[in-house]
Amino acid sequence: MSEKNSVIMEVKNINLRFGGVIAIQNVSFNIFEGEIRAIIGPNGAGKSSMLNVINGFYHPQEGEVWFNGEKRPSMEPYQIAKTGIARTFQNIALFKGMTTIENVMTGRQLKMNKNFFWQMLRYGPAIDEEVQHRRRCEEIIDFLEINHIRKTPVGSLPYGLQKRVELARALAMDPKILLLDEPMAGMNVEEKQDMSRFIIDVNEEFGTTIALIEHDMAVVMDLADRVVVLDYGKLLADGTPAEVQSNQAVIDAYLGVPH
Amino acid sequence: MFYRETGQFKSKYKEELAAFPLAEDKVGIAILLVIAYVFIPIFGIPGLSFEFTMGAIMIPVFIFTITTLGLNILLGFAGQISLGTGAFMGVGAYSCYKIMTIFPDLNIIICVILSGFVTAIVGMIFGLPSLKIKGFYLIVATLAAQFFLEWAFIRVAWLYNYNDSGGIEGTNKEMFGLIVSGPQSDALTRYFIVLTLLVLLTWLASNVIRGRIGRSWMMIRDMDIAAELIGVRPLTAKLSAFAFSSFYIGISGALMVFFWLGAAEVESFDVSHSFTYLFMVIIGGLGSITGSYMGAALVWVIPVLIKEIGKTAFGFDAFVMENFSIIFLGVAIVVILIVEPHGLARLWQITKQKLRLWPFPY
Amino acid sequence: MEILYAILIAPFVEMGSYPDLFIQALWDGFVAGTLYGLIALGFVLIFKASGVFNFSQPILVVLAALSLVSFYKMGIPAWISVILVLILFYVLAWLVERLILRQLVNQDGNILFMSTIGLTFIIIGAAQWIFGGVPSAMIVNELGFPNGSLEWPMFDGGVYFEMIDISAAVIAVIMIVILAVFFSKTKIGRGLRAVADDHQAALSVGISLNQIWVIVWFVAGIVALVTGIFWGARSDVSFALQIIGFKALPVLIIGGFTSIQGAIIGGLIIGLGEKIFEIYWGPLLGSGVEGWFAYVIALVFLLYRPQGLFGDKLIERV
Repeated sequence: MSEKNSVIMEVKNINLRFGGVIAIQNVSFNIFEGEIRAIIGPNGAGKSSMLNVINGFYHPQEGEVWFNGEKRPSMEPYQIAKTGIARTFQNIALFKGMTTIENVMTGRQLKMNKNFFWQMLRYGPAIDEEVQHRRRCEEIIDFLEINHIRKTPVGSLPYGLQKRVELARALAMDPKILLLDEPMAGMNVEEKQDMSRFIIDVNEEFGTTIALIEHDMAVVMDLADRVVVLDYGKLLADGTPAEVQSNQAVIDAYLGVPH
Repeated sequence: MFYRETGQFKSKYKEELAAFPLAEDKVGIAILLVIAYVFIPIFGIPGLSFEFTMGAIMIPVFIFTITTLGLNILLGFAGQISLGTGAFMGVGAYSCYKIMTIFPDLNIIICVILSGFVTAIVGMIFGLPSLKIKGFYLIVATLAAQFFLEWAFIRVAWLYNYNDSGGIEGTNKEMFGLIVSGPQSDALTRYFIVLTLLVLLTWLASNVIRGRIGRSWMMIRDMDIAAELIGVRPLTAKLSAFAFSSFYIGISGALMVFFWLGAAEVESFDVSHSFTYLFMVIIGGLGSITGSYMGAALVWVIPVLIKEIGKTAFGFDAFVMENFSIIFLGVAIVVILIVEPHGLARLWQITKQKLRLWPFPY
Repeated sequence: MEILYAILIAPFVEMGSYPDLFIQALWDGFVAGTLYGLIALGFVLIFKASGVFNFSQPILVVLAALSLVSFYKMGIPAWISVILVLILFYVLAWLVERLILRQLVNQDGNILFMSTIGLTFIIIGAAQWIFGGVPSAMIVNELGFPNGSLEWPMFDGGVYFEMIDISAAVIAVIMIVILAVFFSKTKIGRGLRAVADDHQAALSVGISLNQIWVIVWFVAGIVALVTGIFWGARSDVSFALQIIGFKALPVLIIGGFTSIQGAIIGGLIIGLGEKIFEIYWGPLLGSGVEGWFAYVIALVFLLYRPQGLFGDKLIERV
């Protein structure tokens, strides 16, 4: 795994506050190209906020985000999406009024550019573009084994499948980095195994760099190449699963220390 | 039995992406077009006079269907609520009037379409607050547009060429040697023009909503934050929805005055009309093109028929029937919201679903 | 330059040269603002207690004024007419709860909102049918409100305070105090707030949704009656009042949808703002600007302080 040593994303000294509440305090870490990076920590540790900083939904008061070797200027979320960062959400954020295939197609939105005129006629370039992206979406749908629900409105799907559709939508963006916010929350063991398998497959087949938040330690230890531990907005530990697991500070944070 | 997709295989994505992938749907649309273009002009609607059929039912229903399509694009597809529809129709009507005064020789259809563009620009300007304002709050912004425009239609005398009546009026307009608009035009001619525009605009709308731009509207409607994180630029998505929707509404406003009423004053564009159009969208079904047709037809035709039947058959006076039809509208909307919040279109879909399996329940 | 002078300087010169007119304008704006506030209060009550954005509040005001006058015209004494109107509103609240709200429990806020637009139409049709659409005068004297006006000589001219306007302001203040206490101090008031947060959760802790809805719609009806009496005294009792009722929306934007004090303060801002603008700046635009100026104030507020004066800033989460 030698190629994993080139840094694709680095956050430096991030500080994020909401009014008086400090969500993230001076956190720095990096993500290597092609790795699976886990962010763990107790509830309220600032994990989701960290993802929100990376994909530009929150603007930190201090700190820098480096992506592809360049310091990222302050950008709106839609511009950041364009640079190749895709994500899924802790509380599923699918477009409920649309079917599975339509939801996955939304991931291709950024790659489509035919103008209003052609869109109105739905002819020539517009329909060619539609077909070309539809093909890619169908591949992803096959890959994630959700063909059977292609035309079902997502609102009526069970939770586990919704999570998978959300993953499909993020994958459709052909992202350089995929951010997964608790991809396995609320799943049973079998569903978790499926989801883990998909995450590994995505990482291996598409070579996508993945950063994920997860609570299930067993899953994290199996999946992740490296782990960041946050607690109360501060960085507690950073290293391989084995290193983190034996770190005294981490054990204290999870089990509690008698004061 | 009669309506099913089994056995109709698609081997190309293009075929599946067609407007009506099912053969039965294609036949259905063809039948409807034949009825609209051939049967109604020849036979009219049974039991109703030809004059009444055209002037009180068919032409207004088609025009309001264009309005409803426009509002549905904004509310049903892009999720942005508007109570300014009446005034935006006014923008279409007044700008068409001005265009016709400035370029008296311009073809009237072109005038109507240009007025659609003017309305699109006005709609975009009044849509700007939607970038910061969501949900109910947008009602206030659109009401601001409504009342401001109403005021402008009265106070800015330039808009109605400083005439004493304060209203706008159509004159005879010819096209290919045929009078198509104005007091001497034939109802049937106007019927065909309005119908053709409606068919054309429906086709364009159905294309846009199934493509990239339509999807970006629905993304904003369903979950605006996620849409933004996936790469939809709210500015572009919302303003294009306002523009496209206002384009339709403006065209319908111009058609209303110059192909149906013949003349209009500010009362034709007041806030109570905005509500009526909102009702057409809700009763028909949010986010459905078929629904736009059903909503406009139902909300327009039933009160007209109630009044007509009340007058001719029972001799009730107009005041009573007017109130009765207002109550009817109110009840209709409440009942629809209770029974099926997605409107008639969803009921129609459920029926189609049942037809697919008929005669078996499952 | 001239136009700048007309916009920036002339109006203030005018205010200074005729201070009595200015004070009169302030007083008129204040009274109008109180009444806007009262209509907004009706919205706030129902929103606070059931999470329903009740679009029919303005038409309730019309209905109250219209039915009161009509009962009186039938030869029923004024105070009995008031009681009849209250009974009417109780029945209406019960019907609304039974036939509309109960059917829509747990539905999306948008749907509840749209159902109240439907209700508005039903009430308009029914009220016009039963009571007729002809404008008539409010029975102010018969209800025992003082007549005439106070004149306060000042500078060269004088300022007039109509007694009915003073009564309106006093009663508005009393109502607001009572309602504020009711919401924050009583058990029912707290129950109402729980319902607004979550219908199902309120049900599960044993709050009777149905009763609460009837109560709150009835209270909103009382507020509508008071508003209707005083609006009716200022202009005629007619359906045109409904358009004025829409002014409550900008008031809500400024004051926030859930704040009782906010409704009144918002009302005053709108009332004063539009009166002053109409008198001193309106002529520049050709007058009649009262129709939309309130919405412009609200828009400016929305762009800079979307949560209203008394709301908390929301942090968006994903």
